Amino acid sequence: MKRRLFYTLLCILLALFLVDRLGGMLMSQIARHTQDVLGPKLRSLDEGITADVVLMGTSRCHHHYVPSILSDTLGMSVYNAGVGGSDNIFSHYLVLRHVLSHHTPKVICLDVMTSDFAPETAPFLALSYFAPLFGHCEEADSLFMLAGTYWRYKLSHLYRYNAKAASNILGLVMNRQKDAEEGYMPLPKPAQVPLGPIKEKLVTGRDTLKLDYLRRFIGLCRNKRVMLVFVVSPRLTIVEGNQYKALKAIAQENGVPFLDYHGQQLYHNHPEYFKDALHLWDEGARVFSSRFASDLRQLVNQ
Amino acid sequence: MLFNSISFLLFFPVVCALYFAIPASRVRIRNGLLLLASYYFYMNWEPAYALLLMASTIVTWGAAIAMDWRSAGNRYRRWWVVVSIVLNLAVLALFKYYSFLTDSLSDALQMTGATIRIPSLHLLLPVGISFYIFQAVGYTIDVFRGTVRAERDFATYALFVSFFPQLVAGPIERSGRLLPQLREEHHADYDNVMAGLRMMVWGYFMKLVVADRCALYVDAVFNNLPMHNGGSCLLASLLFPFQIYGDFAGYSLIAIGTARVLGFRLMDNFRCPYLSCSVGEFWHRWHISLSTWFRDYVYIPLGGNRLGRSRQYLNLLLTFTVSGLWHGANWTFVCWGTFHGLLLCMEKRLGIGQRQYTGLSRLCHWGTTFLLICMGWVLFRAATLHDARLVYAAIFTRMSVPDLSFAMFTEVFTALVAITVMMGCEIYLSRKFRQLPVSRHAVRLSAMVMQAAVILLFGVLGGDQFIYFQF
Repeated sequence: MKRRLFYTLLCILLALFLVDRLGGMLMSQIARHTQDVLGPKLRSLDEGITADVVLMGTSRCHHHYVPSILSDTLGMSVYNAGVGGSDNIFSHYLVLRHVLSHHTPKVICLDVMTSDFAPETAPFLALSYFAPLFGHCEEADSLFMLAGTYWRYKLSHLYRYNAKAASNILGLVMNRQKDAEEGYMPLPKPAQVPLGPIKEKLVTGRDTLKLDYLRRFIGLCRNKRVMLVFVVSPRLTIVEGNQYKALKAIAQENGVPFLDYHGQQLYHNHPEYFKDALHLWDEGARVFSSRFASDLRQLVNQ
Repeated sequence: MLFNSISFLLFFPVVCALYFAIPASRVRIRNGLLLLASYYFYMNWEPAYALLLMASTIVTWGAAIAMDWRSAGNRYRRWWVVVSIVLNLAVLALFKYYSFLTDSLSDALQMTGATIRIPSLHLLLPVGISFYIFQAVGYTIDVFRGTVRAERDFATYALFVSFFPQLVAGPIERSGRLLPQLREEHHADYDNVMAGLRMMVWGYFMKLVVADRCALYVDAVFNNLPMHNGGSCLLASLLFPFQIYGDFAGYSLIAIGTARVLGFRLMDNFRCPYLSCSVGEFWHRWHISLSTWFRDYVYIPLGGNRLGRSRQYLNLLLTFTVSGLWHGANWTFVCWGTFHGLLLCMEKRLGIGQRQYTGLSRLCHWGTTFLLICMGWVLFRAATLHDARLVYAAIFTRMSVPDLSFAMFTEVFTALVAITVMMGCEIYLSRKFRQLPVSRHAVRLSAMVMQAAVILLFGVLGGDQFIYFQF
């Protein structure tokens, strides 16, 4: 009886292993051919970005910077490597590692947020988006170790595609790349113009590990002689106090230019540029990109 | 330790291996191992709270022994049962309801213009306290009533209270069912192990794929209500019933499956509740171990339906209000319980649910019941009564197409597919007595492997808490 049980359990484990590996291969093919948002971005990260200027950040980067406008002003090739939901510095560090493993851009602009220095309940959650890149870059894999997911990805190939499995599959039948441009994804015009600036809470906490990774991020760029710029793109929110004090201090300490458009309350008198309090829609993004391109040109020429 | 954590997936095989390595005839040694494992399992959250578990065990065990004493008179027995119940409920009140009571008192006084400073204790709610205290109190009452004899062996009784598969979120077992099983020999039985594993995998599917996928959208809406329109609120309100069902029924299945692997049979906790055609039927199918607990230890002692119609309505209302309060120290839960109590009273008054419905009549009763239950779940999910009001207001006054980003659309789409699979299988299996259409062993094993693969691909494996743990 015990023998029968042992062999059955063994069969189940072997079958699961086989299904996992075959499923992993299938999902890898789906990720290669999907026209969803994240799949193509991970492909370009994996196959190598060749642009002179690389923009990094979360959805705010993804939807705010139009590469063609920046490229025309700067006279350099531009790629928007922003990943929606990539949340914080751990994800940006992973992206940077992948970019630098293939190519050294001249300029990197990081669209920063409070989540890049403030404590969060699940700071490593967004790293799961990058799990398909597991095993492709040793140093980036150390982040999966830090997040506690390294062995899960090592053991299960199927699990690496868990975070975006449904999106990737839907991306086979729905083309979401038709309006994309060098990584930039325009947001549609909202049905209603958002109400004026809403009040945002001042973030006071500091996560020392995040600050450490911010410094590592800066150090990597410096070692590769990449010009780094921190940017806070416009938000339709008002904060009482200096929201990015911690980031500005690190930027100043390392000689990194810091462009704070949120602090300047840019476009607070133009709520029609926004899709919601945190995102510009395509028209706003184009107006902002022109403004940012001229500011960046000044910095590059200095 | 959570059932959906890696540590449990390591812990459980080790416990099984050790358990079955001990000869089945050595029941006491096996029980000792399970007792140690159960305390280890519980102490993974907060070791200090194991003392509460132990204290509750000692009090109820001692009180039951005292009651069972041959020469114990009726008055003496009554005294012991009261002591045991009061001590247990006092612990529950202190840890679970103290802040709620003091906050409510302060608010009430503030409304009259008076202010009073009541010291807050900032106590963390011990995981599963409501479950194990109810199980222990139920045992004390059973001994008092003479339906079971007091368990003399402390280790066996301690295992009854702390048995790890059902320690933190039920099913709330009855002493008459579980205690005899703890005295029996359990051999490593192939059918038990396979049946248990199948239940566990299905439970994980319900929790990780259905409940946690639904949660991504439900939480996004309920945690930021002013930003969402009526359509989004309605969609979240329709997803939450499946979230909580997947979460809790999934947990129960994992618990029942875990126990089954070890050779124990725990009671069924859910029987397709959303197929109910009346609220009364719903409560016969939802959280059965708790609803029968309230029926046996609260509703019937209050008089049940023996003291006339108006008294029955009052008893129903009281029982369901207390049941609501059991779920959480918040007015939202009290209102949820009262809402269900009122619905039951109305059903009794109108004679709904007294007979079997067929055809269109069945569909109408099912639809009405489902919508009423969904309305109730809004109260259950909302953080405050004000939030619940916002949801109802949005649904009834600001109805429009749900505002979904593509990312959220895919989450909702996955959740809806998973719900369809879950409900389809539940309906089919409930009619076929939980048997697959083919009796071939290989097909069952393949189904299990495919379920595990689906969990790996679509499950939310972030180690989220089960909703009922907070109760």
